[in-house]
Amino acid sequence: MFRNSETARGLTLIAPPALYALLLLAVPLLAIFAFSFWSQDFLTIDYTPTLNNYREAFSEPLYAQLLLRSVLIAGAVTLATVVLAFPIAYFVSFHVAPSRKSLWIFLITIPFWTSYLIRVFLWKVILGYNGVLNSSLLGLGVIDEPLTFILYNANAVVITLAHAFAPFAILPIFVSLEKIDRSLLEASRDLGENTVMTFLRVTLPLAVPGVVAATLIVFIPTIGDYVTPRLVGGPNGLMIANMIQTQFLKLNNAPMGATLAVIAMGIVTVLSLIFIFLNRRWLKGRKT
Amino acid sequence: MKDTSPPPPIVSLRAVQKYYGTYHALRGIDLDIGEGEFFSLLGPSGCGKTTLLRTIAGFEDISEGTLLLSGQDMSGVPANKRPTNMVFQSYAIFPHLSVAENVAFGLRRRSDLSKQARQVMVEEALDMVGLGGYGARAAHALSGGQRQRVALARALILKPKVLLLDEPLSALDKKLREQMQNELRRLQRHVGITFVLVTHDQEEALIMSDRIAVMFEGEIAQLADPQTLYRRPLSRRVADFIGVMNFLPARATETGAEISGLGRATITPEQCPAGPLSGDCTIGIRPETMSILFGDEPAPASETRGLVHELAYYGDMTYYDILLDGVEKPVTLSMKNLVGRRVLERGETARISWDERALVAFAN
Repeated sequence: MFRNSETARGLTLIAPPALYALLLLAVPLLAIFAFSFWSQDFLTIDYTPTLNNYREAFSEPLYAQLLLRSVLIAGAVTLATVVLAFPIAYFVSFHVAPSRKSLWIFLITIPFWTSYLIRVFLWKVILGYNGVLNSSLLGLGVIDEPLTFILYNANAVVITLAHAFAPFAILPIFVSLEKIDRSLLEASRDLGENTVMTFLRVTLPLAVPGVVAATLIVFIPTIGDYVTPRLVGGPNGLMIANMIQTQFLKLNNAPMGATLAVIAMGIVTVLSLIFIFLNRRWLKGRKT
Repeated sequence: MKDTSPPPPIVSLRAVQKYYGTYHALRGIDLDIGEGEFFSLLGPSGCGKTTLLRTIAGFEDISEGTLLLSGQDMSGVPANKRPTNMVFQSYAIFPHLSVAENVAFGLRRRSDLSKQARQVMVEEALDMVGLGGYGARAAHALSGGQRQRVALARALILKPKVLLLDEPLSALDKKLREQMQNELRRLQRHVGITFVLVTHDQEEALIMSDRIAVMFEGEIAQLADPQTLYRRPLSRRVADFIGVMNFLPARATETGAEISGLGRATITPEQCPAGPLSGDCTIGIRPETMSILFGDEPAPASETRGLVHELAYYGDMTYYDILLDGVEKPVTLSMKNLVGRRVLERGETARISWDERALVAFAN
């Protein structure tokens, strides 16, 4: 089988990570997939394959509502993050002196220095009824009573997640902007376009691969986020991951939890594929 | 055959200074470039030639002085409003657009053109640079020479008053470069647009230009047509930069100079482009104006003797380094390898023919 010693050596080299990936990624995924076709009665698992879980998942309006909300929240987070990340990436790439760029990128990653959980709690402190934001606005006389639409609802989830994922969006956009040959911008100016049109006709199209990467990197993990909706989401900010957790740990219905997980993964896959397909024209035309 | 009256200037620079912080990049440039001229800015890297070109294009503002383009002051006029277009050193072809879209890039603002008219213009521009039928190609699939042509078509389609070329041929291999030199020259005659070329390649500048400005350290060292530049360089530095020149120590006499290794020669005032000579001076002589005399062949003008120190055989030519009496540094001379002509060997003594009309004198 390994007549070619180079092949053998290559396979040996990748064996440990391959094994690692197989055990920690593929096997759990397969287990989830298998569970979704079983059923559970209290603590006993019935291994007879059935589609009942899927039937129930699709007929129960609560699940559909949670799935839809997850998609909408993740979409809003992605939009907010990418739209806010672009100017930052643009600024660092085009207006920061080359010798200072790595410092800026380093500073942008500061949110990662604290644990995700602590950051979410901090947002509770900032957005709360007597929180930093409300007391400042009250003190300044901007508002008469505390704002309530910023905590324990979907808005709070969007704000918190958008902050948490900002570096994930800034970095790929920054990289794609860095790759743009600056003489292309001069060429556009030379051919009669002003700064705005140069941005629209040259910079933005060439930054699309970075924007696509940022969108996927933010959208895929946020749709399944569990901690943030749990802590700042309130009853109306809960997402599908919270229901999956409830099914597994509180309702002792692992098969239903697995089914919802599979459906959520399916939705993410389909949405991502549609998004990539729509952007294929840009991705295809790029070559450095 | 050349019209002697200078054409009206289309680019006019007066006392132009450019500073980058404390670095003085352009030191008082005065320059007029005529309509329809093929003009070259020649100099070593860092001499300010590219800065000057970018100043004309509007990518750099000038610190002091004025720049006029066809009589209009360009201060405060951004690059996109200037009647110039540029071919960039890297060509700057938009990688996300097709060849035709690249060429049509600057036509967006021409709302007077119909879609068909645009297509016809793009096709014509591509035909002009020899890329007819390439319109649908993806820009990133082109070779270096093809990118260069797209960059040319993209600039020329806008019919600029001045086309600026920033070392356009430096990225091409030798064969392609020579071919493009001819084509650029032909294209310039065909469209009649003023071309301003930046190059560090003196041969390229000589071949292509009507006039050349040689620049050193932010200043124009000499501005002349190619023949004057080659035959009557104003300084040793210019002479050294344009082709090869041998320099011999000499002493000025009443009618000419006493030259080490060559002897006495008459020097006319035209041969002293930098002014009359006195005392110790330097005489320059080009390799091809000297030759080796074989057998008892008589010298057409003057004659001296030397020792073959080193030689380099190029096939069509042989370059000899000859040690002349009383001169430390060997002089270079070139001989065509004609049929039946022998190539000398190292250590041989040779009779050397030279002509006082070929000498150029420089003050020390």
